[in-house]
Amino acid sequence: MKVGFFVGCNTAFNRPDLEKAVRYVFPALGIELDNLEGQSCCPTWGTMPSIDLVGWCALGARNYAIAEEKGVDMITVCSTCHGSLARTAYRMQTSPEVRNKVNELLKEVGREFRGTARIRHAVRYLYKEVGPDEITKLLKHRLDGLTVAIQPGCLSLWPKEVFIDKEEDTFHPKVLRELCEALGVSAPHYKQLLECCGMGGMRSTDMEKSFRLVERKMTSMKKEINPDLIVTGCSSCLIQFDTSQEFLQKKGRIYFEIPVLHYMQVLAICLGAEPKMVTGLSRTPVDNIIKRILQG
Amino acid sequence: MKIFEDLQTTAEIALVKNNLAEEIKELGADKLLQCNQCAKCAATCPLVLAGFPFFNKRIIQAILIGARETLLNDISIWACQSCNRCTDLCPRNVNPYEVILATRRMAVREYALPALAVEGIRSLYDVGHAVYLSESGNPRRKLGLPEKPPTTLSFSNALREVQAIMRKTVLADLGIIPMEESANF
Ligand code: SF4
Ligand code: SF4
Repeated sequence: MKVGFFVGCNTAFNRPDLEKAVRYVFPALGIELDNLEGQSCCPTWGTMPSIDLVGWCALGARNYAIAEEKGVDMITVCSTCHGSLARTAYRMQTSPEVRNKVNELLKEVGREFRGTARIRHAVRYLYKEVGPDEITKLLKHRLDGLTVAIQPGCLSLWPKEVFIDKEEDTFHPKVLRELCEALGVSAPHYKQLLECCGMGGMRSTDMEKSFRLVERKMTSMKKEINPDLIVTGCSSCLIQFDTSQEFLQKKGRIYFEIPVLHYMQVLAICLGAEPKMVTGLSRTPVDNIIKRILQG
Repeated sequence: MKIFEDLQTTAEIALVKNNLAEEIKELGADKLLQCNQCAKCAATCPLVLAGFPFFNKRIIQAILIGARETLLNDISIWACQSCNRCTDLCPRNVNPYEVILATRRMAVREYALPALAVEGIRSLYDVGHAVYLSESGNPRRKLGLPEKPPTTLSFSNALREVQAIMRKTVLADLGIIPMEESANF
């Protein structure tokens, strides 16, 4: 099996340890990663999507064209890349007018959007193509006895209509939970599970309001399930939970600390990766939780 | 309510020459007029939870009554999380998120966009990534990764393709960012 790794901005520059985790996990599960040389930003919402529909779709379509030329689907660990790319394909597939204009633009750079490659969320790709049972069999370390709070990531769920590997019920998601349970943890529900973490456009527009959302989530999970670890399916959620805790503590808005990792990072460690290489850029300390994982 | 401060009566509202709705429709929100203001989208919106004055339902309301200035003077549209909860829940298939994107497109044409958005667009043009940290080479190397990812950063011809596409869009007419032809390597 082979799939293109759409790396995106935040993973490549902010959390390359997460990139490293992906590059460890996929081959360890027998899936070869293609580099999709020359890929660009998805593009993210505040840029071309906010300026021009066709221009947005054209930049997205250029990324698809690279995957199509190589005959592979693309995976991403970032919900924004997942959402933007899924939406551009959907727009082009449902509107011949948009698609024609996009292909006119692409022709000038020698590319074409044919609609044969797909963007797939890495977490759900593993769920479907490998499956929780198979993952359990391959583990070198297990997380038995731990409790995790899961955070799937908005744009891995909604809008359902544009995604390939969709949840049956987006308001009761189960994929990330089942994949976590495959590692031996319990991943109970908490009231704010479905809510947004506040990263993205909101954080760049109004940090204070954005932190209100992450504070609400953290308080809810702490009170209701007291997790040992937060596991996200999205690189942006990872960054938000990881970087906001110190600030919230200093301001006396939370009085605790919960380590946070992306599912790919946890899985990489469980499959035998050197923990420093796949989690080394965490700001909220993860040493204790990693010690426990390595014991399991 | 802020949007009614300048528009006191329904007669005044009706008198407003409302090209706004048409404009927003043309900018990508083709289902705008299907909205019946039920507010189901608002019930699920993170903007509401975080306390922003405008969000999907109220943005549509402002568009329908032609309150262009009000929308231009408020930052809420840029704080939308693109989460698309509203798209999934809307019973009339309005696609409220597309309305927000189209409203941003309108605002961009009036040069009412936040500085950070300009930065992101500029960075997208200059290196092919909206978010780029030039100091990331070192941590990448320490993790055993190449200093640059296999993207437009590593392939100048790929970056030139991105730039050529962007120059063919309305961005070139707007002049929000410098768009020289040479790659910034
Ligand atoms: S956009 Fe849809 S959900 Fe929102 S108010 Fe209009 S009809 Fe209701
Ligand atoms: S996409 Fe924007 S408007 Fe819709 S629910 Fe999410 S934050 Fe609110």
